[in-house]
Amino acid sequence: MTKSRRRRVSTAIRYAVLTLWAIIAFFPIYWMVATSFKPDTQWFAWPPVYFPEPPTLDNYRNVWFGAEQYAATQYAISSQKPLISLGNSAIIATTSTLLAVLFGSVIAYGVSRHRILSETRMFQLLMLRMIPPIVVVAPLSLYYAAVGLTDTFAGLILIYFLTSLPYAVWMTKSFIDEVPREIEQAAQILGASRWRTIFEIVLPLIRSGLVATFLFILILTWSEYLLALIITKTQVTTVPIELSKYQGSTEGRVYGRQAALSVGITIPLMIVGLIIRKHLARGFSFGMVRR
Amino acid sequence: MALMAANAAPASTRELSRRRAVRRFKWSILAPLIALIALVLLPVLFLQLYFSFHQWTVYLGSWSEAEFVGLDLFTEVLTDPRFGWAVVRSLAFATGSTIGCFVFGFALAYLMHKPFRGQAVYYAIFILPMLTVPVVVAYTGEMLLYQSGPINDLVTRLSGIEFKPAWLTNPNIALPTVMLLEIWNWTPFSFIIMLAGLAAVPREPLEAAEILGASRWRIFWEVQLPLLRPVIFLALVLRFLEAMAEFPKTWALLQGGPGTATETLPIYIFLTTWQYFEVSKGAAMSYIVMLLMIVIVLVAIRLLRREKRALDAMYGGGAT
Repeated sequence: MTKSRRRRVSTAIRYAVLTLWAIIAFFPIYWMVATSFKPDTQWFAWPPVYFPEPPTLDNYRNVWFGAEQYAATQYAISSQKPLISLGNSAIIATTSTLLAVLFGSVIAYGVSRHRILSETRMFQLLMLRMIPPIVVVAPLSLYYAAVGLTDTFAGLILIYFLTSLPYAVWMTKSFIDEVPREIEQAAQILGASRWRTIFEIVLPLIRSGLVATFLFILILTWSEYLLALIITKTQVTTVPIELSKYQGSTEGRVYGRQAALSVGITIPLMIVGLIIRKHLARGFSFGMVRR
Repeated sequence: MALMAANAAPASTRELSRRRAVRRFKWSILAPLIALIALVLLPVLFLQLYFSFHQWTVYLGSWSEAEFVGLDLFTEVLTDPRFGWAVVRSLAFATGSTIGCFVFGFALAYLMHKPFRGQAVYYAIFILPMLTVPVVVAYTGEMLLYQSGPINDLVTRLSGIEFKPAWLTNPNIALPTVMLLEIWNWTPFSFIIMLAGLAAVPREPLEAAEILGASRWRIFWEVQLPLLRPVIFLALVLRFLEAMAEFPKTWALLQGGPGTATETLPIYIFLTTWQYFEVSKGAAMSYIVMLLMIVIVLVAIRLLRREKRALDAMYGGGAT
């Protein structure tokens, strides 16, 4: 009796703590969504408005579809429409991620089956990711300017490819390690070349792992800020940069507009993240932690 | 005996040709990659070195006109108190937010590691902050934390006490504010890592301790925690490195301000290079920070290598 009561109490405490944290985790996201539906008088009202009344779609119309003239409102010093930068982000993130996963998985196969990189080299590869980009970003921007890569798709794709490669190699390797070798050995005995073995046997076997790796790196690339800030000027701005241009440079707080942009940027990311929620730990730990 | 020797000869040539094929395969992947990395990294590192030793400003036409100044820029950076403070701030920020993320993440993971009703829903909600773009976190943070904003209003209403800290404009709490945002943003990281770790801990030692009548507290400290050590290291080390590099939230929210209150290393380098246009000083600073980070990363990699062995052993044992 006492034992079951104690268990009930501890269950109640657990739910209380978890619910409290769920509120903490969710409230800022709720606030962002709520603000995006508020008319401008409620963005910054006292007391704060917790439920937009009446909810409006004005922010979305203005930000995403340019319903109001930029020049007239002044606070958007944006050089592009957000929809274009959304497209840019999609192109840059998917291309660089695709390349990284393709390249990374072949390297990972080589490491897993033939140790083409020693453990030491594998850890050195991590340095591409672990050294903070800020320490090379100034010479990188000068170098890019000199070779004409500033503000181009190729420039951003190249640097994102390199910085996501460590994740791609390590994460796909953790999947390939789980595939028994017998299958590919059988294929090789039957005369399949190494490349055919990789692309027609091994990689199809870790299909879901490749998708998870792809989506995981997509999340990181999509949110990247510093490199995009330095390398892009006006032509290929990505969405985080576009958002930072809505910092109220003249009028101050334009919360509703920022929130409408933020929602559009974040929702795809959350959907992707929730799809691969089981693989996130593996991704962030470079495949060292599995589930 | 003779038979074996006869067998061994063709086998070893086959082995040799196999090895040659592997080598060919190895370089056909690695060569383009190494070339690409060299093509990007070498000029960048060279430029950084060049600018660290040559005083160059944007007003000079070409790089070659820059004047050679020896180690002057390095002494300038190393005697700059603002740089010293930036180092201190970065280390404090990274340490504080790493510990914060870890404590909350581990606590939540511990509460959730056994199945219960609603687990999947809580899990989904808990990982959402990690899936928010950092710049969005910064702007949403501003919407929440201005002085008469919703956070202060909610706390005042719930506690009944006037609660009005100036989160973003008071220099004494601006850095802790960014730290709080970082903790909100990345607690899910520690949470998912620790949850995966707790799920992978072998059951037998726990059951044995339970049968021996150990208290839950002792089981936690003396059985679970030692088994979790590799995962704990992983969660701490990776988070610390990321926190040292934190730029988007700090920049988008406060640009190092108010005053220099949130001027961490990335922010100070950025300001020096792109606001004060002291490219050479920025380069020298980057160089010093890069060396500092290489030392930190090498230590981190050493730790990770050790813990990865333990992890592999754990998964190797669990899988088969």
